[in-house]
Amino acid sequence: MKRPFLGVVIFTIVVLLLFIYVGEVLTRISGEEARVEKEKARVLGGAVEISPEAGHEIFWSRGRCHTCHSVGNEGSAIRGPNLGEPGPTGLPIALRAAKRAEVRSKATGKTYSATDYIIESMVDPKAYLVEGYSGIMPVIFRPPIALSVDEIKAVTSYIQGIGGEVDVAAINTSPFMEQVKVSAAAPAPPSPSLLLEGDPEMGQSLFFDPESPAGCAKCHTVKDTGGKVGPELTNIAGQQPAEYIIESILTPSAVIVTGFEATLIITKDGRYITGVVRREDDQVIEIADNQGEIQKVRKADVKDRVLQDVSIMPEGFGEILTIKDFHDLLAFLMTLQ
Amino acid sequence: MKRRSAEGAARRVATKGASESHQWLRVAWLFMAFLLITPLIVLAQETGYRPFFNTNSRLVVWIVAELHLMYGAFVLGVPIFAVIVEYIGKRTQDPKYDKLAREFTKLLSAAFSTVAALGGLLVFALFGLYPKFMDYLTQVFHKSYYVYALLFFAEGFTLYLYYYSWDRLQGRWKGLHIFLGVLLNIWGTVLMLIANSWASFMMSPSGIDAETGSFLGSTWAAVDNPLWIPLAIHRFIANIAFGGLVAGAYAAVKFLCATTEAERAHYDWMGYVGNFVAIAALIPLPFAGYYLGREVYSASAVMGNNMMGGVFSWTFIIQAILIGVLFIGANYYLWIGMGRIAGSERYVKYIKYVNVILLISFAIWLTPHNLPLSAAEQLAIGGQYHPILKYLGLMSAKNAVVNLIILSTFFSFLLYRRGNKGRTVPFAEHGTAAKIILLIVGGLCLLFLGAYARHLFTLDPAALELSPDRAQYFSLPGLLLMIEIFAIFAAIGLTFINRGILGQSLLLAVTAASAVLGLGVYGFVIMEKANPFLRNIAVTQFLMVIACLIVITFIDLFLFKNAEVVGGIRWGKMPVRSQYTLILLCITIVLLMGLMGYIRSGLREDWHVYGIMRDTSQWAFTPTMAYMAKVVGGIVFLFLGSIAFVFWLSGLGEKKGGEPEPLPIGGGAGIPIAEGFERPKLHGPERS
Repeated sequence: MKRPFLGVVIFTIVVLLLFIYVGEVLTRISGEEARVEKEKARVLGGAVEISPEAGHEIFWSRGRCHTCHSVGNEGSAIRGPNLGEPGPTGLPIALRAAKRAEVRSKATGKTYSATDYIIESMVDPKAYLVEGYSGIMPVIFRPPIALSVDEIKAVTSYIQGIGGEVDVAAINTSPFMEQVKVSAAAPAPPSPSLLLEGDPEMGQSLFFDPESPAGCAKCHTVKDTGGKVGPELTNIAGQQPAEYIIESILTPSAVIVTGFEATLIITKDGRYITGVVRREDDQVIEIADNQGEIQKVRKADVKDRVLQDVSIMPEGFGEILTIKDFHDLLAFLMTLQ
Repeated sequence: MKRRSAEGAARRVATKGASESHQWLRVAWLFMAFLLITPLIVLAQETGYRPFFNTNSRLVVWIVAELHLMYGAFVLGVPIFAVIVEYIGKRTQDPKYDKLAREFTKLLSAAFSTVAALGGLLVFALFGLYPKFMDYLTQVFHKSYYVYALLFFAEGFTLYLYYYSWDRLQGRWKGLHIFLGVLLNIWGTVLMLIANSWASFMMSPSGIDAETGSFLGSTWAAVDNPLWIPLAIHRFIANIAFGGLVAGAYAAVKFLCATTEAERAHYDWMGYVGNFVAIAALIPLPFAGYYLGREVYSASAVMGNNMMGGVFSWTFIIQAILIGVLFIGANYYLWIGMGRIAGSERYVKYIKYVNVILLISFAIWLTPHNLPLSAAEQLAIGGQYHPILKYLGLMSAKNAVVNLIILSTFFSFLLYRRGNKGRTVPFAEHGTAAKIILLIVGGLCLLFLGAYARHLFTLDPAALELSPDRAQYFSLPGLLLMIEIFAIFAAIGLTFINRGILGQSLLLAVTAASAVLGLGVYGFVIMEKANPFLRNIAVTQFLMVIACLIVITFIDLFLFKNAEVVGGIRWGKMPVRSQYTLILLCITIVLLMGLMGYIRSGLREDWHVYGIMRDTSQWAFTPTMAYMAKVVGGIVFLFLGSIAFVFWLSGLGEKKGGEPEPLPIGGGAGIPIAEGFERPKLHGPERS
C-alpha cells in the first residue's frame, strides 16, 4: 500500500472514531440508555404497572406527551399547556383539572371529576380546547401514539400526582376509561353506507359552479380556487373521515373549525353584520359573509360584537341538494386526499 | 456469496467492458426475477419476521439499505455534473473538460454494478427477513416494481452507451452524446422518484384506508404521498453534493499518490471541481431540508414533534456538527486554494472574517434550546434556561444563521473567483444581450418575490389557525420583500453604469440586513405573537437569499467577463492539508447521509408504515446515539473501503504511462460551470 494512501486510511479511521465518540458523549448527556432499556422491556412484552412512576416514564418517552407539554420547569415544549404551575391559571394540572371539571359539567350536563377531565383531554382532546391552543393533540389510543389502556391509566396517575393525590380507583371507574376500552377493542368503524355511487366529475361542477345548488367554492378553496370564508378543502379527505364530511354538509354547526366561528357585529348606525372575521387591525375589521362577500367595518363604528355558536355555512343542504347531487358532491370531496 | 458476486462484477468492470455489461445484466435479471417470484414465496409465509442466522435482522437491513443508498446517491449525483462539465467542454472546445467528464463517468460506471448488486441483496434481505411487511408493500406498490425494473434496464443501457461511445461520438456527434447523458439523468431521476415513493409512503401513507390500512386500488395515490416530493427534492440536491465530494476525495487520493507535476495539476483541478459542485449543491440544501422538515410536521404533528423536540432532537446536534464541518471545510479549502492564485493576496485578508462568522453561526446553530440539567447546574445558570443562550436555541435564531452561513459561503466563493482578476471591461461592451439577460433575471425575481409579498399581504390568519388581529404581523416581511426587489433593480442599474461591484455589495448588504438581521429578530416577535407564521418568515428569508444569490451570480458573470487576468492559477501547487480537507469533506457527507437515513427511517419508531402497520419485532425500539454512531460509522467505513476498491479496480484497465497531460497555467480558472462560456484570458482584456 502506498504511504499516502495509508495516511488517508488512518485519517478516515480517526474521523470515524471521533464521530463514534460524539455519539457516546451525547448518549451519556441525554441519559438515553435508561430509555432504551425500558423500550426494550416494553417490546419484549413487559407488563405496564399503573403507577405515577410508570406514567412519568411513558409521558417522557413513548407517549411523546413531552414533545408538546412541559411540566413546571421540566421540559421546554410550548405547543400544549404546561401541566405545572407555570401553565394556564397558575395552578398545577391536578388542581386545574378540578376547576375545569366544573366547567365541563356545566357545558355538558354530565358529572365530571378531575380525573374524568384529565382522561377526556387525552382520549377526546378536541372536546375542550384550552384558550390560546389549537386542536393539534392526537387521540392517544389511536395510531400513531396508540397507547394501551394500562399505559393511559399509568399516564393519568402521573398527571393526577402533579399537584394532587394519585387515585387509581378513580381512574378505573371513570366512564371515559370505559369508553377507551370499548373504542380500543372495537373494530374500526365501518365506512358510511351510501345509497348511490357518486360521480366525482359532476360533484366537481357542483362544487365550483356558483350557480349550482351547492356552489361551495364561493366560500371554500380547493387548490387555490375558491373563496376564503370557510376552511380550505384541498386535502379534506386525507384529513377527515367521510362521516365528518357528511356531517359538515348536512349539519354545519355540529363542529365549527377553529378560526371560522361566526361573529355578529352591530354597528352604531344599526346595521347587523354576521360573518367570519378574516383580518383585523387597530382600525378596521374585515368580515366575510355567507355569500363570500367581504365587508369592511371601521372599529370606531362598532357598537357591539358577539361571537356566535352557529356556523355561517347555510343549513339545509339536505333539502337543497338532490340525493344524486349530494352523492356526486361527496364523491368529489373524497377525491381531495 | 453475494460479496463474491459483487466483487466479481466489479473485477470484470475493470478488465473488459463487454463482460462488465454481461455481469450487470445478470444482476439485473436476477433482480427482476426475484421481484416477480418473491411475492408468491412471501404469501406462503405466516411469520412476520425471520432472524438473520439468529442475529439482528434490523441491523442487516440497515447496513445493506444504507450502503445501497450511498452507492445510489453517487450513481445518481455524478451524471448530473458530469454531463454539465461535458457540455462546457463542447462550448469552450477545451478538451480538458471533456476528459474530466469522462473520468467522472468512469467512476460512475464502476459503481453502477455495485449499486445493482446491493439493490438485489436489499430485496433478498427485506423479503427474507420482513416477509409480512414486504407482502403489504408489494400489495400497494407491485405495479411500480415493474416500472422500476424496466427503468433500471434503461438506466444501465444508457449508462454503458454513454460511457463506451465516448470516443465514437465526438465532433459533430457530440450533441448526441450529451443527449445520452441527459437521458441518463432523466432515467436516474425517475428511478429515484419511484424508490422515494416507497420510503416516503412508509412515513406518510396515502392511497389506503386510514383505519384498516387496506389498499384502495390506485398505485398513483400511494406514490403521491405527502412526503414524496419534499424527500425527492432533498435527495436530488444532496446526491449532487455527495457525488461532488466523493469524486473530490478520489481526486485528493490520486493527488497524494501522484508522482508527476502533471498528475498533481490534473487531480488538483478535479478536486476543485468536486468541491465547487458540492458547494453549489450545499447552498440550497438547507432550504430543501427545511421544506422537508416542515412537511414532516404537516404530515404528522406527532412525528414532527418527535423529530424536533423528542428523541431525535439530539441527533440534530450531530447533524449540525457535520453540516458545520462541511461548510467550514469547503470554505477552508477555498481559502487554501487562493494560495495557488496569483493576485488573490488582495482578498485573502477577508477570508478570516468569513470564517469567524461561520464559526459563530455554527455555534448558534448548535445551541440547544435546553438540556436536562441537575439542580446545581440550574442554580449556576439561574434557571432551566440560560438567560442569553436560550434565545440562540430557538428556531428563529437558527433560521437567521443558516442564511448567514449561505451568504458568507457565497461571498467567500466570490472572492475566490475574482482572485486573479484585474480591470474589468465596461458593461456596455457586453452588448444589449447582457442588459436583456440581467433584466430578465431581475424580472423573474420580481415575479416570485412579488407573488410571495402579495400572498403575505392577503394571507388569511385563519389559514394558520390564528385570530384575525394577528394579520398585522404579516406586513413587515412583505415590505422587506418589496425592499429586496428594489435593491435587486438598484444593483442591476448600478451594473449598467459600470458600478457592478457596488451593486453587488448593496444587494448583499440589504439581503443580510433584511433576511438575517431584520427577520431573524422579528422571528422572535412572531414566535411569541403568531408562532405558526414563523414558517412564512422562513420562506421569506429563503426567497430573499436565493434571489440575491441568483442576481449577484449573473452580475458577476458579466462583470468579470473578459476581465484582465493579473496572474495564473498554479494547479497542483496545493499543500497536503488541502487534500486532507477534501477527504474530510467526503467522510463528513457520507456520515451525514448515514445519519439522515437513520433519522428518516427512525422517525417511524415502532411502525413499518406509520400509523398503519406496526413493527412488532423485537427490534422495534429507537437505539441510543452511541449505538447509532457505531453502526453508521461502520457503514461509512464499509462504503469508503468498498468504493476505494471499486475505483482501484476501474483503474486497472488503464494503460501505464497514460497519465494526464499537464494543464496550462490559467486552465480551468474560476468557476468551471458558471464561467464555461468564456476562455480565461492570460494577457489582459480584449479591447476593440
